[in-house]
Amino acid sequence: MLRRLLEVASHAFDTMMRRPAQSALTVLGLTIGVGAFIAMVSFGEGARRSVISQFEALGANLIKVGVASVQQTHGRAAHPLTDQDVAAIRRETTSIRFASGVVQRDADATRGGKHHWTRTYATVPRFATIHNWRMSEGGMYDDADLARRAKVCVLGMTLVRELFDQTDPLGETVTVLGGLPCSVVGVLASKGHATNGDDLDDVVLLPLTTATAYLGEGIGYSAIEIEPQSPALLETAKTEVTDVLRRAHALSPDDFDDFRVSSPLEVVRAVDRTTQILSHLLQSIAALSLLVGGIGVMNIQLVSVAERTEEIGIRSAIGASPRQILRQFLAEAAALSLAGALSGVALGMLVATIVAAWMGWPRVISPVGVVTSALFGIAVGVVFGYLPARHASDLDPVEALRHE
Amino acid sequence: MTIGQRPAGERPIVEARALAKSYGRPPAQIKVLDGVDLTIRKGEIVALQGRSGSGKSTLLNVLGCLDRADSGTYFLGGRDVSTLGREAQAWVRLHYIGFVFQSFHLIARSTALENVELPLYYAGFGRSEREEIARGLLERMSLADRADHVPSELSGGQRQRVAIARALACGPKLLLADEPTGALDTRGGAEILELLRELRETDGLTVAVVTHDDTVAKMADRRIRLRDGRMLTEEQYAAEAS
Repeated sequence: MLRRLLEVASHAFDTMMRRPAQSALTVLGLTIGVGAFIAMVSFGEGARRSVISQFEALGANLIKVGVASVQQTHGRAAHPLTDQDVAAIRRETTSIRFASGVVQRDADATRGGKHHWTRTYATVPRFATIHNWRMSEGGMYDDADLARRAKVCVLGMTLVRELFDQTDPLGETVTVLGGLPCSVVGVLASKGHATNGDDLDDVVLLPLTTATAYLGEGIGYSAIEIEPQSPALLETAKTEVTDVLRRAHALSPDDFDDFRVSSPLEVVRAVDRTTQILSHLLQSIAALSLLVGGIGVMNIQLVSVAERTEEIGIRSAIGASPRQILRQFLAEAAALSLAGALSGVALGMLVATIVAAWMGWPRVISPVGVVTSALFGIAVGVVFGYLPARHASDLDPVEALRHE
Repeated sequence: MTIGQRPAGERPIVEARALAKSYGRPPAQIKVLDGVDLTIRKGEIVALQGRSGSGKSTLLNVLGCLDRADSGTYFLGGRDVSTLGREAQAWVRLHYIGFVFQSFHLIARSTALENVELPLYYAGFGRSEREEIARGLLERMSLADRADHVPSELSGGQRQRVAIARALACGPKLLLADEPTGALDTRGGAEILELLRELRETDGLTVAVVTHDDTVAKMADRRIRLRDGRMLTEEQYAAEAS
């Protein structure tokens, strides 16, 4: 039985190889369909991972409280975010590991004759950890620096490039926030660009206390950053923080929040959903092109059956049964589909590699996706090959023999 | 697979009674076979003659289980084959019948050897057995040195001998030939006729030949003449000829 099957298969491959051009044409649609499917799955996954990893770079396990806009408070002036708020959050919540104010200003950083407009963050040392910053040189300022309001700073790669030529920035003095000279104690490792094009490395960090002393007490924080005990407690922590801040700001039940609570994880989830919808869309289009490829197999096999009518008549006359003829043409469709699927796998992986390199995505090729689309391609080819095969086996031998 | 009843004694190979077949619908109906009774004994060579449209080719196709009569009975080797389905007809063609055609009907892109192997493939023989049997047959046809040639590289007579080798591959009881010398010159035709006669002697083969060529018909044991789907008696034919 197996021997018989192998023989049918080898005959089918022989027939295919004797007409390479026609065979290639037959399976071209399938090749493109399978290739597109594999490439689309890879694009979707690659884009998704790339976006997620960028958001994770911003800090995934993080809640950010900002001052609400006038629209959000429906016309009332919002309370500034203060030390009292931070203290209340630390005191009155259970799901939080860490909370601290952050002052953010866009200001000039200068050194010698050079200056660069940059984003300045005044923070506690833990800021670097929460936001997944790694150090490329030196270190982050520590709690002792914070306690003595040390005039130190940590630079992002872009600033190093803009303010220093080749020289080692460690120990040099850079003037930040337009007039505060700080000694450079560390350089942040590069994070590259965000999805929206922002240069994540265009940044300078300095101790929160140093900045508030310079800018004047009571300026209010740009944001309060909060780290939940664990990512699972994110939602609980948000609810607790909201309750605490409403009490601290003495809001009545009818008032809208005068602050915004958000987390990058929400954005990650939203982006994840969007990219997933997109990649499903792309995959359905690719699946559709596979079906079109199947129709191509059907058409060319129908032509092939018509061309080989006399041959089918001969085979029939010498004793081939309709079932044997059906099997022969089905095997040919299967052989063609297999060849089409395999070349489609090669094509898909090639395209995925090129596009991933081009877009700077990780090249993600899932073996399950490859095998599934190859099997799907073969199945489509065989299903669409059935009609021509059926047509061949239904031919009347007397009629077929008259055909030349 | 069992087909009809078992053969009993020395029954004729072919016993056909009242075979009828027509094409088209009643007003414009054409009767191709109109009550043909035919008996062919084992080892006989029979020539079927008639003008085109007389029904001789249709009769040959019905005898070869390639086509089916609308009515009448047909016993082949003592078995009723008149009501077989397409699968069973194919089985009968494979094991009982060998066909030889005017235009050879070889598969053009296959070699002589592959053409002869084809029926053996459908009969389920393995690769090496097939090749052994097919080479033996080609040798008998004096074509051993042409085994790996494709039909276009062979002469007409050689092609027809390949076709005969293919017809003999599964050891048929009945060889059906439709104008086997029609596409050959006189010498080639004579060779084929000599071969058919030889096969009757060596293999006890029964042969039915459709032909319009009197040299071919003269070599037959018996001539059967058809007109408008009916068989003519010798007297009818003589009356017609005069």
